[in-house]
Order: sequence, then structure tokens, then C-alpha cells
Amino acid sequence: MTVDLPTPRVGPLQDAAPKPMRLVLNWGRRYSLWVFNFGLACCAIEFIAASMARHDFIRLGVIPFAPGPRQADLMVVSGTVTDKMAPAVRRLYDQMPEPKYVISFGACSNSGGPYWDSYAVTKGVDQLIPVDVYVPGCPPRPEALLHGILRLQDKIAAEQLSTRSYADRRRLAGAVTRPAVQEPGAGATRVPVAPVAPREARS
Amino acid sequence: MTQAPRELTVGVGAGGLATADMVLNIGPQHPATHGVLRLRITLDGERVLKAEPIVGYMHRGAEKLFEVRDYRQILVLANRHDWLSAFSNEIGLVLAVERMLGMDVPERATWTRTLMAELNRVLNHLMFLGSYPLELGAITPIFYAFREREDLQAVMEEISGGRMHYMFNRVGGLRDDLPSGWLGRVEATIAQVRRRLPDLESLIVGNEILHARTRGVGVLDVGVVTSYGVSGPIARASGLDIDLRRDQPYLAYDEVFGADGPGRVVTRTGGDCQARLEVLLEQVHVSLDIAEYCVQRLGSLERGPVNVKLPKVLKVPEGADYVATENPLGMNGYYLVSRGEKTPWRLKLRSASFNNVAVLGELLEGTLLADMVAILGSMFFVVGDIDK
Amino acid sequence: MVDLSWFDVVLRAVIVLVGFLTMPLLVGQTEHKVMAHMQGRLGPMYAGGFHGWAQLIADGVKFTQKEDIVPAAADRGAFRWAPAVALVSYLLALAAVPFSPSMVGADVPGSLLLVLAVSGIGTVGTLMAGWSSGNKYSLIGAMRSAAQLVSYELPLILASASFAMAAGTLSLTGIAHAWTPVWLIWQLPGALVFLVAATAELQRPPFDMPVADSELVMGPYTEYTGLRFAFFLLSEYAGIVVMSLLFAVLYLGGWTGPFDDALGWLWTLLKGFLVAVVIIWMRVSWPRLREDQLQRFAWLGLVPVALLQLAITAVGVVLTA
Repeated sequence: MTVDLPTPRVGPLQDAAPKPMRLVLNWGRRYSLWVFNFGLACCAIEFIAASMARHDFIRLGVIPFAPGPRQADLMVVSGTVTDKMAPAVRRLYDQMPEPKYVISFGACSNSGGPYWDSYAVTKGVDQLIPVDVYVPGCPPRPEALLHGILRLQDKIAAEQLSTRSYADRRRLAGAVTRPAVQEPGAGATRVPVAPVAPREARS
Repeated sequence: MTQAPRELTVGVGAGGLATADMVLNIGPQHPATHGVLRLRITLDGERVLKAEPIVGYMHRGAEKLFEVRDYRQILVLANRHDWLSAFSNEIGLVLAVERMLGMDVPERATWTRTLMAELNRVLNHLMFLGSYPLELGAITPIFYAFREREDLQAVMEEISGGRMHYMFNRVGGLRDDLPSGWLGRVEATIAQVRRRLPDLESLIVGNEILHARTRGVGVLDVGVVTSYGVSGPIARASGLDIDLRRDQPYLAYDEVFGADGPGRVVTRTGGDCQARLEVLLEQVHVSLDIAEYCVQRLGSLERGPVNVKLPKVLKVPEGADYVATENPLGMNGYYLVSRGEKTPWRLKLRSASFNNVAVLGELLEGTLLADMVAILGSMFFVVGDIDK
Repeated sequence: MVDLSWFDVVLRAVIVLVGFLTMPLLVGQTEHKVMAHMQGRLGPMYAGGFHGWAQLIADGVKFTQKEDIVPAAADRGAFRWAPAVALVSYLLALAAVPFSPSMVGADVPGSLLLVLAVSGIGTVGTLMAGWSSGNKYSLIGAMRSAAQLVSYELPLILASASFAMAAGTLSLTGIAHAWTPVWLIWQLPGALVFLVAATAELQRPPFDMPVADSELVMGPYTEYTGLRFAFFLLSEYAGIVVMSLLFAVLYLGGWTGPFDDALGWLWTLLKGFLVAVVIIWMRVSWPRLREDQLQRFAWLGLVPVALLQLAITAVGVVLTA
């Protein structure tokens, strides 16, 4: 079953804002990154460590109070994405409201990591959703996540948004409801997921 | 306080009207499942009629990958199935390989392994002591738990270079000798953790709300424990007095759990969430005692090798062996079958969480939704340890 | 009541609105900082430069830019209007709370009654949100908040009735005028009941079962995004402001204090702020109760204590009359 999702739109202010306003708007997005931890494996523990007192990414305005995707601005995929989990990752990404950002945290979600030759592991979450910042490591240190967040904030500060740039994501939405793995005997074993252009190419 | 009658009727079902059961999917991504366990529960109002754990979302095929990695490389994967007790995972595997090779490990390495395994156990249990209250709505204990974790991790990192995945075991011993002055720093850290632990305990022990949420909730009796193969702190909280460190000693545990050693097995008889919490809390103290004892023993040992020189190509002679260890989460077993190649022919994992979670279906029926979260958290599983 | 010119009405409305928009932010920022320091952290530090003072402004700026999603399965009308209902109830309540004898948005005779009545409406917004979201977690959360409403509303009103009886008036201004330091002991049981019941009404820990994030993701607000979600957040913190000020006016004597001729409003604000910090403190220290435990507590603990307080107040009033 495919669901026809409406074209993602940014909120009213972002759409109508004149140029000087953009500075303020980008500042708001930069320092208010409500983060949704897509905690999958080992890296999730280091993500939690990064939110704790010693590393404390709340200093940077990364607020870990969003338990669900609807309130989140930033999704941190931390851990091994398996093929069985892949549809859920995509679905949760689609449930997040625009403008949204993704940090891929750790070797597994970057590329499959030590499970690069496994039959069950997705080789990188960027096959499913567009990723803004990759943080390498297995698992990366919390400081590495802090650095990744700073890079993302720099990127947001330089951003220019408009509704048009989100329009071409629509064709990807159907991929959510397709199973990533077909049932045995139905021909090909993997349904190719639509390629995702890097975010820069669209803005 | 007497047991509150847990009767709650919600919504249109109140006056004896017809109610429809609701099927609710908890997970695969849900704040309470810390990881990707999925539970399909059938609800009548808030009461859980049926709960079925669905596993496999974290299945990474490690057992198959073992077969194409040589004996040095499989440590990387063996390390990661239970990411909270990486060091203990390594030990089970190297012990199996060493036993099949008939290798003698230097005493210094054995004591260091014991020390690090116990520190790892403390780290593991601290994670529980932080995350379990969080699931019950208390946000602060996890910050205190991680303060201690960071200090212990610093010590572990100094010797191994890793904060979580130490990769410090090698077949035949350890990777490196201890850094100079390290034992002193371990001792200081243990003392510091011991000093600050009451901060954390005071938030958990003696809190009336926490008592109300855990006492008498999710009672697991010994019969169910044995029939499902539940092990570790969960089994001991139900009164099953079993601990492989004492009952089937490996490493240096026969001395630690001997007549003069500090080791003792923590048990409770309640079998409820509170008993499980208490067992895990007390095990932290026991493990700190053991670690301190190991530091003293290591200090009295004279310097010597910490590993055995290995051949360039490490081949394990044909045969099979099974080694079980007491991991922080429960019994962990490695069944190693070798055909004399440089890779294992088969390496089967027996992980604690798989059995511990299987019992959930039995435990959750008839509880309330809020208790479901309390029980789920108290079973203390790691999803990677379930799915492998 | 005095006759007001239309200009006066508009001015008062604007002042109340500005207070409504700034005080919750102040409480929110305090929560960030107080919670952080209790947990050995710093809290937001970067937004705005000095100790992250602009964190909530950044949040607001961000929320205006977020996509406004109405789920396909949602009941569109109810879903869209729910945040407004939640918000307006506390706005009306704030208008009737006096800061000093002269500083009150709308000095109505039965203001205590008005405040309690309209602040109960907020729960309707939560119910609307939960029902219309088309999400099972939201539904369970809404049912919990309805169940909670039934159990805390009675002790809240009984405790307030005791204050009203002691003062002999239903007007908040009148109650604060009648206040004497003796109340601190005389009305203590009622005040405790009020504080507990108010925390339950606000759905704040340890009574945050309707939004229990580890059980129900975000309860009734699970499906809300952007500004609509921000309105719910704002109403939560506005609720803290209203309840704290109400507590300060009823039990802590409102503007009574040194130099209260000139600085009365400051005293009310300070006392209310202290109560708000206590409410934040509770969140930091305690786990969450279970829904049925709260109800048991409300019916077997709070209601009897509140009734007892009423009896004590009655005796006191008769003896001193």
C-alpha cells in the first residue's frame, strides 16, 4: 500500500521572510535543535554519554526532550541499521517536520561498520535518508558528536530555505511503505531504495 | 504499605459497556524499549491482555560473520553483541579458544582480566541504575550514574584505549602490560565511586514512589525462571542462587569466591522489580570489592609477561568446546566448533538477554501499561544481546 | 466594579497578554537552568551568548518555521483547535490573578471561582488533542488526563474553599487582603493539598502520567508539530505561572511584605516564582506515580485532608468571629 503524502512545507514565517529575517531564522534553527535519538546499538550509549553532565550537548541548544519524531528537528541515527529496521528508520524520518537534519553517528550507520559483509545489515543509513553530517568512530567518542553538532550548526547558519527545495523529496515518500526485503521466491531479494541526492544539491 | 488494588477502568468501557481491545505496537522504536525490541500488546483500557515480544530488529548476523573472520578478528564482533559488557564478552571467547589450544595464560593477565571484567560489570550495572529510574520518570539518577561511569571509563580507556569496546584481550593474554601507576589510579577511582555512590542510592533507595512502582510488580517465580532459562541478576532476584563465577570458576574467580575472597553471590527472594533493582545495586558494591581485591593481588604479583607469543597463523585444532561465563546480564556461552582452519567452523552464542526477554510474554499478561514499562526496564536486557 | 474606558480595557488586555507570553518563558528558562545545576550540568549556554539566556527565544523562532503536519487519520478541526483551547484557559485565568490591589487584569468579584473554572478547561484541550490525533498513544494519554481531572479537581476546590471561607470572600484580592501570618500554620494542610492537586492538574511530575514519555511517547501531544506543539508547551508553563501565583495569593499572602505599597507586585511575583521553582524541583527529584496510585492518593489522602482543613477553618472562623 502506498500512501500519497502531501508535499512537505516549511512553516509560514520561513516561507514569507525577507532576507534580513533569514539571519534570525537561521539563528533560531541553529540553537534549537530538538534531537530525536534513533538509538539502535552501542553508539546510542555514547549518544547518551554526550547528553550527560560531562559532555552536555544541551549547552549547544541540542535539547534531548523530544521522545517522538514529530517534535524533533534533528535525528541522530546511532547504531547498526538492519534491513528489518530500515523501513522504520525511513518512516520516522518522514514523520519529522521540515526543516529537519540527520546526523549519522558511528561506523555502522555510516557504512555498515564492522558488519560490512553481513547479510542483515544496511550498509549505511544514507541509503534510506539524506544525511547532513557523518560522525566516524566505532563508537565515536562523545566529543566527536559535539564536533558533528558544531559542523551542523555552521551549516544551518549558512542555509537558505524555501518551500521549493523540499518539493523534490516527495517522490521518496512511497519508499517508506514498501518492504525493504521482498518475501523469498518473489524474484529479486532487495528492492532498490530510491537514490537520495545530497542535501546541498537541492538548496 | 499494602498492595494497592490495581483496578483501573478507562474511557467508554466504564459502565459495563462493550469494550474493544486495542492492539498496540510498542516499538521497534519506542522510548521504553531502549533499543529496538518490539512488543505487540493487546490492551483492554490500560490492562495488558497479551504481550508478545518480537525480536530480530537488531539481528546483525554476527554468528555467520564469525565464520569468515580469523581468531583475532572475531573478537571485534564478539565484543559488540552486548555493548554494555564488552570486556566480559571478549573473555568468554578467548577462554574458549585458549582452552582448545591448551594454552596457559600468565597469572598477571588472568588477574588483570578479572579486574577489568568486574569494572565492566560496575559500568554495566550503573547504566541500569541510571536508565531504570528514567523509565519510571525520574530524570536525575542517570546523570549521577553517568558521572561514575565517566570516571570508570577513563580508567578503562587509559589501559585499553576504548571507552566501550576495549579489545584488550588477545588469545593467550592481554594486548599490553599495565601502564605504570595505573593500579593506583584504579584504586583511587574505585574509592571515589564508592564515596559518591550514596548520592545515587539516595535517589533510588527509600523513595516512596519508586517503591510503589516496583514492589510486587512483575513477580517472577523460580519455576518460570528455570523453565525459561533465565539467568544472571534477574534469576538471582527470584531466589535462584546461581552464579558461574562461584559455581564454575574461571579466570581468578575461585580465589575471589574462595574462603578469604571478597566475592559473594547476591540473591533476593521477592522476584519483583524491586528485588531486581536491589540485586543490581548490591552487585555494584560486590564488584567494587572484587575489583579492589584484584588491584591488591596485582600489586603483589611481580612483573612478568601478560601474553603468550602466538604463531603467525593461528589455527585451532579440530574439536568443539563450550565455555560459559557469568556476564553482567547473565550466563553467556560460546560454543566453538573448529575444523582446524584459521576461522571457526561454527561459533554459537548463548546470550543472556534472549532468554531473559522470552519470559516477558509470561510476565506482562494482566499488568497495567505503566507496569509494563517498569517490568520491561527491570528485565535489563540489551537488544544486541537478544538478536546477535 | 469600576467602569473602564475602552482604552483601559485594551491596555489591560495587552499587559496581560505580554505577561502571558513572557512569564512562562521565564519559568521555562529557570527550569532549564535549575534542573541542569541540580544534575551537575550547565544547561543551555550558547544561544544568545550569556548563559544561553535566549534558548527559549531560539526555540520559539524555530517552532514558527516548522512544518505544520496534520496526520491523515486526524480529526482536522479538533486537532487544529486543541492548542488554542489549552492556551486560552490559562490566559483567562491569568487575567483574574491580582499582583497587587491595583494591578489586576480584570478584578471580578468571584475571581477565585473564575480562575478555578477556566483553568479546568485546559484539560478539554488535552482531551481534544488526544482524541483527534488518531494515535493510540495519544488516546491513552487523553484518557489518563481525563481520569486525572476527575480525581484532583475535588481536592483542589475543597482546599481553595477553605481559603475562601477563612477570608470570607471569593475574590482573590479580598483573600489576599484578609491574609495574616497565622494562615501559614492554620491553612497548612489545605495548602499542601492545593500544591499537590495543582501539580496533578498541570500534569507535571510526579503526576505526569498523561504525557509519560517513557510510556506514551508524548501522550496527547505525540502528533503535534511546530507552532501547535509550542502552544501546548506554552500552556503547560503558563499553567505553572497561574498555579504558582494562585498559591502565592491564597496562601503566601500575595503582595504582603516590606514596602508593599510600592513593591507589592514584586512580592507576588517573587513568591510565585519560588513556588514555580518548587514545582520544577519536584520534577527533578521524583519518579512518576501510576495513574491508579494517584487516584487512590487523591481519594484516600487528599480529599479527607481537605475536608479536615475545611472543618478546622470553619471552627476557626466561628471562634474568631
